[in-house]
Amino acid sequence: MSILYSREQISDGIGFTSIIDSKFKTNTINLKFFTELREDAAPLNAVTAGILGSSNSKYKNLTELTARLNALYGTDIGVNVTKRGDIQVMTISISSIDNDYTLNGEDLTSEVLSIFLDCLFSPYIENGGFGQEIFNFRKKDLLDSIDSEINNKRSYAILQAQKHIFEGEPSANSSYGTRTIAEKITPFMAYEAYKEMIKTAYIEVYYVGAKDNPVIKERFTEAFLKLYRKPHNIALNNISPIKNEVKNVKDKLDVSQSKMVMAFKTNHTDLYAIKLMSTILGETPFSKLFANVREKLSLCYYCASGFNESKGTLMVDSGVENVNVDKARVEIINQLEDIKKSNFTDEEMNNSVLSIINSLKGVNDTPTSLVNWYFSRYCRGEIISPDEEINRIKAVTREQIIEVAKSFKLDTIYVMTGEEE
Amino acid sequence: MEKKIIACDKTNDKYTHIKHSSGLNILVWEMDGFSTTEALFGTKYGSINTRFKTNKDKDYTVVPEGIAHFLEHKLFENEDTDVFELFAKTGASANAYTSFDKTCYLFSCSDNYKESLEILLNFVQSPYFTKESVDKEQGIIGQEIRMCDDNPSWRVFFNMLNGLYKSHPVKIDIAGTIESIAKIDADLLYKCYNTFYNLNNMVLVVAGNVKADEVIDIADKCLKPSEDIELETVFLDEPDEVVKSEIVDNLPVGTPMFNIGFKVKPRSAYENLKLEMELHVAMNVLSDAASPLYKRLTDEGLINSTFSTEIFNGDGFFTVIFAGESNQPRKVLTEIIREIENVKVNGLDREHYESIKKSTYGQVIREFNNVEAVASTLINSYFAGVNPFDTVKVLSEMTYEDVQKSFCENIDTEKVTLSIVES
Repeated sequence: MSILYSREQISDGIGFTSIIDSKFKTNTINLKFFTELREDAAPLNAVTAGILGSSNSKYKNLTELTARLNALYGTDIGVNVTKRGDIQVMTISISSIDNDYTLNGEDLTSEVLSIFLDCLFSPYIENGGFGQEIFNFRKKDLLDSIDSEINNKRSYAILQAQKHIFEGEPSANSSYGTRTIAEKITPFMAYEAYKEMIKTAYIEVYYVGAKDNPVIKERFTEAFLKLYRKPHNIALNNISPIKNEVKNVKDKLDVSQSKMVMAFKTNHTDLYAIKLMSTILGETPFSKLFANVREKLSLCYYCASGFNESKGTLMVDSGVENVNVDKARVEIINQLEDIKKSNFTDEEMNNSVLSIINSLKGVNDTPTSLVNWYFSRYCRGEIISPDEEINRIKAVTREQIIEVAKSFKLDTIYVMTGEEE
Repeated sequence: MEKKIIACDKTNDKYTHIKHSSGLNILVWEMDGFSTTEALFGTKYGSINTRFKTNKDKDYTVVPEGIAHFLEHKLFENEDTDVFELFAKTGASANAYTSFDKTCYLFSCSDNYKESLEILLNFVQSPYFTKESVDKEQGIIGQEIRMCDDNPSWRVFFNMLNGLYKSHPVKIDIAGTIESIAKIDADLLYKCYNTFYNLNNMVLVVAGNVKADEVIDIADKCLKPSEDIELETVFLDEPDEVVKSEIVDNLPVGTPMFNIGFKVKPRSAYENLKLEMELHVAMNVLSDAASPLYKRLTDEGLINSTFSTEIFNGDGFFTVIFAGESNQPRKVLTEIIREIENVKVNGLDREHYESIKKSTYGQVIREFNNVEAVASTLINSYFAGVNPFDTVKVLSEMTYEDVQKSFCENIDTEKVTLSIVES
């Protein structure tokens, strides 16, 4: 059994990808609208995506839609609003069990497809705007989501840090935008935003299922052909400029464990060498940051790195006791300096390659990881399979790792702490 | 050694159950077409098991809270090396976790699973604790406890458990407290290890890209036979009533968070699963997004999409939880209670009941489609004294009358705790 992958352009700025693998017991359709992340438009797009994922002209509110989806063996509609660098991505997806697994041989596939298309292309409209009831629910949900960003201190610290790391760039915004703008949204404004989104946003559609089903592509193509499209050009990758001086920021919040986020930036484009470098530095439990800063020196509870390729920015985030913040900062920098000086063993390098291969081979095992994989490669500008990525990672040399490490410059240090100085 | 195949005709799935001569039960679920292998080596020993005895003891031993989790951290260090370094050589991604009623060591990989499995079996069977390493771990776990203190979802949940339970240790944080972990030393760790890490009290689960016969070969090679020590764990008597009906705590949060818990009398094994599924179905009919209650609560702006219901149960505890965010959590509770009383008199909506049954079946199918979920459902059901296909059996035998009766008999609107975390 193997995976059949294909992607084609079905309309202006719209791609349709089909991924078939007989091992799956579910069928998933996933549609992504993506557009520049703008402070004014972000909450409008977010609320719109929420409405599309919870109603349509036939099932006018969440009660009616959920009742129907329950009867279709718990078919699940999900909405997810995220940012990738400078773009905002609104994902709406539907997933149902394959017809082979229904108790009485029911055909779920065609009804599920129709419901999903109705959600996307035939929303419920009242007085020239979205239906008031579903709008109210989704708007409240958006406001609460914005307010709740503070609940998870680790991600909240990263979000606050990004405001400084990407100052003046779209990616400084939260994926939901701000409360002030969100509060002003009306059903009419959201509906206008919807019309703008289906006209100007780039769109990628993914189908992941057990069997090929050409009808899905046909129905989407047909639906999009009826629309007037004028996609706005967007830059999927925008390297963030490096500040002349390192920016130090300290925020106070009632937390018992401090959080520190450090950003290093580069213009280097060797993504495979950077991936391997970041893995050696801080992406595994045997990485330099984990083994030294956490385990050997006990300076942090967590300390990990990750590279944001669309912004050329490597972030190291850590949970630290306030008294250890200075020591941890020095040690994190030391670990990166060690890589620049070739102070890492062949074993650390080989083990990091093995770890990357391990996760790449797992991509094919869930519909979600497949969609995430192919969308991120689309954004990178070269769609390759996980196997091809493995070959490229394996080809990276020690010299390349040192070279990319040297290209990183410290840009911002953000600390969130509960204690008075 | 005994080996049998357990199959489910409805979903077309099967796994192999091996009773190994070492005393260990081994469950292997081969999944065609998947690249990943997920292995879990677990012991039926979690944060709640603080009171126990074996056939060698006269009296029950009582140990400090948080010791199961502490032991999990310490097992990750061998005498000469860190366990992560061993797995680094195979490429597997390794981890461990401690819950209320079990401790699991696991890896997930796409290549070399046999080598990784040997590492897993060997390190869990090789404890090494010294005073120095125990002292150092107290600092690391202290940090972990602090991090959880900052987590409002964690706090709102444990505050609810403290309101519900008087003596059952489920109310104690899995990691213990700074004070309780200070009492842990190497001797106590060995005592707990030798009691609970007996292979008769453990299970090995492997799912995905794997062959049962290969697992047996590795088990033959690596497992050191254990003598059955007739382990008994006990809990202090737990009253039916709750301790406190409301607990409010302060932390920086957006919209206030709430957990509402209804205390239910616990069962065990198949009866527990049956009750769990009946109440799962009943609670979804009562409050899922298609219910009149949900519509009322959203129309009045009392809840948002984080509102959910969950059955939380294990050895000696059973709670039906409603969780979410609201500016008026007390009003949410009043509305839920009103709806419960209404359904007790007028009955659950029949059509909605049928749909929820179907949707629950759909969830089971989805679970069987994911390597990680399969491994975790295997281990959870084993420790709960059932098998993963029992869910399908319970669902197919479930009747509306059973569910309605179960709902009326088990949900008591007097036995409820509301926990709130607000800024």
